[in-house]
Amino acid sequence: MAAEYTIEMINITKRFANIVANDHISLRIEKGEILGLCGENGAGKSTLMSILFGLFQPDEGEIRKDGKVVEIKNPNDATALNIGMIHQHFKLVEAYTVLQNIILGSEPLWEIKKDKLTIFDRFLNFINKKVLKIIDYKAASDKVQKIVDKYGFNIDLNAKISDISVEMQQKVEIIKTLYRDNDILIFDEPTAVLTEQEIDGLLKIMLNLKKEGKSIVFISHKMNEIFKVCDRITVIRKGQHVKDLLTSETTKEEISMLMVGREVKLDVEKPAPNIGKEILRVDNLSLIDKETKKKIVNNVSFNVREGEIVTIAGIDGNGQQDLIYAITGINQANSGKLFFNGEDISSYSIRKKNRIGLSHIPEDRHKHGLVLDYSINKNVVLKEYNLKQFSKYGFIKDKEIKKYSKGIIEKFDVRASSEGDTVTRTMSGGNQQKVIIGRELTRKHDLVIAVQPIRGLDIGSIETIHNILLNERNSGKAVLLVSLELDEVFTLSDRILIMFEGEIVGEFNPKETTREQLGLYMSGAKKDKVNAVKEGCYNEQN
Amino acid sequence: MNKIKALFIKCFDTVNNGLTKFTKKESAKTVITSLWCALLGLFIGFIIILFINPSNAFDGMAATLENFFIFSNSDTRLYYFGSTLAKTAPLIVMSLSILFGYKCGLFNIGASGQYTIAFVVILFAGLVGNLPWYLVMLLAMIAGASYAVITGLLKVFFNVSEVISGIMLNCIALYLGNGLCQSNTTVWDASHGESFKITQGSQAFLPNIGLDKLFAGNTVVGIGIIFALIAVIVIFVVLKKTTFGYEIQTIGLNPEAAKYAGINKVKAIILSTIICGALAGLSASLSAQNGFNSWQLSSTVVSAGFDGISSAFLGGLNPIAVVFSSYFITHITDGGSVITDLGFAPQVANIITASIIYLSGFSAFIKQYISDKDLMREQKLLCRGNNKKEDK
Repeated sequence: MAAEYTIEMINITKRFANIVANDHISLRIEKGEILGLCGENGAGKSTLMSILFGLFQPDEGEIRKDGKVVEIKNPNDATALNIGMIHQHFKLVEAYTVLQNIILGSEPLWEIKKDKLTIFDRFLNFINKKVLKIIDYKAASDKVQKIVDKYGFNIDLNAKISDISVEMQQKVEIIKTLYRDNDILIFDEPTAVLTEQEIDGLLKIMLNLKKEGKSIVFISHKMNEIFKVCDRITVIRKGQHVKDLLTSETTKEEISMLMVGREVKLDVEKPAPNIGKEILRVDNLSLIDKETKKKIVNNVSFNVREGEIVTIAGIDGNGQQDLIYAITGINQANSGKLFFNGEDISSYSIRKKNRIGLSHIPEDRHKHGLVLDYSINKNVVLKEYNLKQFSKYGFIKDKEIKKYSKGIIEKFDVRASSEGDTVTRTMSGGNQQKVIIGRELTRKHDLVIAVQPIRGLDIGSIETIHNILLNERNSGKAVLLVSLELDEVFTLSDRILIMFEGEIVGEFNPKETTREQLGLYMSGAKKDKVNAVKEGCYNEQN
Repeated sequence: MNKIKALFIKCFDTVNNGLTKFTKKESAKTVITSLWCALLGLFIGFIIILFINPSNAFDGMAATLENFFIFSNSDTRLYYFGSTLAKTAPLIVMSLSILFGYKCGLFNIGASGQYTIAFVVILFAGLVGNLPWYLVMLLAMIAGASYAVITGLLKVFFNVSEVISGIMLNCIALYLGNGLCQSNTTVWDASHGESFKITQGSQAFLPNIGLDKLFAGNTVVGIGIIFALIAVIVIFVVLKKTTFGYEIQTIGLNPEAAKYAGINKVKAIILSTIICGALAGLSASLSAQNGFNSWQLSSTVVSAGFDGISSAFLGGLNPIAVVFSSYFITHITDGGSVITDLGFAPQVANIITASIIYLSGFSAFIKQYISDKDLMREQKLLCRGNNKKEDK
């Protein structure tokens, strides 16, 4: 009964230098179903899908389409077999319009269409086809518009990619695959960049596509999404196939366990907060964008005290990142004051802010957090290299740094092939993040600012990092967290601040609020006047 | 018999493993890459001269490679080896200038201009001022540094690319050099249409602290080469062992992370342009104060800075390796200059060096190729290992 499956990948094995990324994995996709592909980072999901899309060649195994063995040597072969892939990182040309991006690579060419073609017409058609290659934008636009209407994408075809939102860009990627008449779509972690509302929209689109008889492979870390749309789930772990399950017959806990190989507590235990003195106070902070002259951070005031986790939640791009930049000094605030342990630090340099005990786990690991071509040893002293502990008369003490780095590697369980000498570029995202967290939490600090610390990480690493942050709080440090994911917000926070268009529009106690209420504030439907500066220490004992 | 066979296999395996381990090292890859560049460059150069003058091609190539080995007398050989060394010293220092800037993310294309300004200062200080050699050298370094710092200031405060300002400053330096040299009769030798050289006997001539005895009485082998080697060690230590070196390399590799870590970019960039300029100035000093070079009227920027770029890249941007790459380039240019006797135009040597230098631009590509081959070999081994397991 092989013909029931539209795609079969049988015993696929793929080896890289010293790891086996896929070890005899089999994957079957039925016609008109959504298959969830689950696994931790580095489990081999992306490799497997890249093989299906022709980006890699398998060392062993075969791929069958509708029961026939096919060979997919490159993405062009995949497209010819109607396989399309929506990548996590979009592959769009920023300066082109939506329409141009969609037709890129398979543009309809202008030609004369008549019942009777004269020789001259034929000549013109031939010349255009072979030499001039003038694009028939009218035909293209008609075809794309048909798709847009059919699936209810609400999108302006003439907008430039650089002007539209991330959600829209993703829609462009989806329309791109539909335009090529693909009926097998691979979604590689499409929701990582979307907000809650946008995710709902995307899931609806996926269900619509399924109704049209398309088959979908859906890769996601988020159990909620998987369970909402998938018919079946395939779990892989460490390059090996673990189990195929029907969504109706399994639970989130079972999937998580199969993925990680041990039981995972998605809810972390949190003792009552023991709140001490004020560490950071932000007083009427404003930041004006240099290009648009708009206030991207607008009169923000709040404080963070010892022993609490204050979370700034909101939809991406509402000024959270800029607020953190203004606090840490990467951008200078235009007005307002910052106090740290009662000291006015508004005009301090980044170095001075680092020295008085402000730790910052940045959002972008590769841009700010690490020097990727440095070893772990060199990265863990990125801020401390010129302290007495690590240098003398301007010379670096290699031995001390090695010792210090070894401590961090052991304490934070960083997995690296050649220990401290491992170049961080070669490490997985989770381990890179552990190096940064290890550095920021081992140095002398009173406050930790963590911006989306679990972005792009798998369930196992998320659990570890959440525990680390809670430990910080329990040991009396102040923690300021910026998060886009409501799950994380509810697990960790003691206070939730909602940011919308540069302002703080709501403050909530996680025990007394709901996801729906937060959603209203995050989308700007509701606004409060907030005084987020909380005075006094207290010890909340149950 | 079997024992011997086993022993042989064991030996072979040990050597093979050792080799694999060696070639896996990043530094080893760089060395192999540079060697490949040089070999391929020689080969292409050879093909070119084969077309120009087939009958003398072998002799020409041999002469280029032999350089001073062409003499049968060992003393003469030593003598000319000394000359080659003296000519290598400025190139080594110039490569250091390029590579130091590169580590900080600066492409010091203005090195030629810094060299020119320093050169003019040397001529005036040495010929007009009649100052002692060490003062002249110091002035040259100061001149180069102050000329280079213009680039640094423009970059830091006005965000002007160092490549653009470097090219402009090169032109300014060139015409400034032409004008200034011609304006003074002590400096300008009107009868030859070039400046006077700083010759032996002048106070500004580099001393040779007895090195001439080592090199069969060649008095130009002064302390230049020693200064060059000292510069190599200093730069190596600064880059590897100091906090300043750590700072500038962080800026070069990831300026955003450097900002995040609180590293003062303004200070680091200005300091490194100063060091680049001082090195370019030292390079001018080593090439002008040994009597080899004079200032000649020209409408093209001097090539010293650009030679430094190729030597720095052929040396894989490693301060130790540039000693060898600089020597190699000087060796064949020097050797090439004698093949005019064989009916070649003197430019032929330049063709050979040019093709080597051109190939050093491919060094990244060759390095990638070596790495890929390594990967493939490992994969094959892995497959073999797995197959064996399955067989069992």
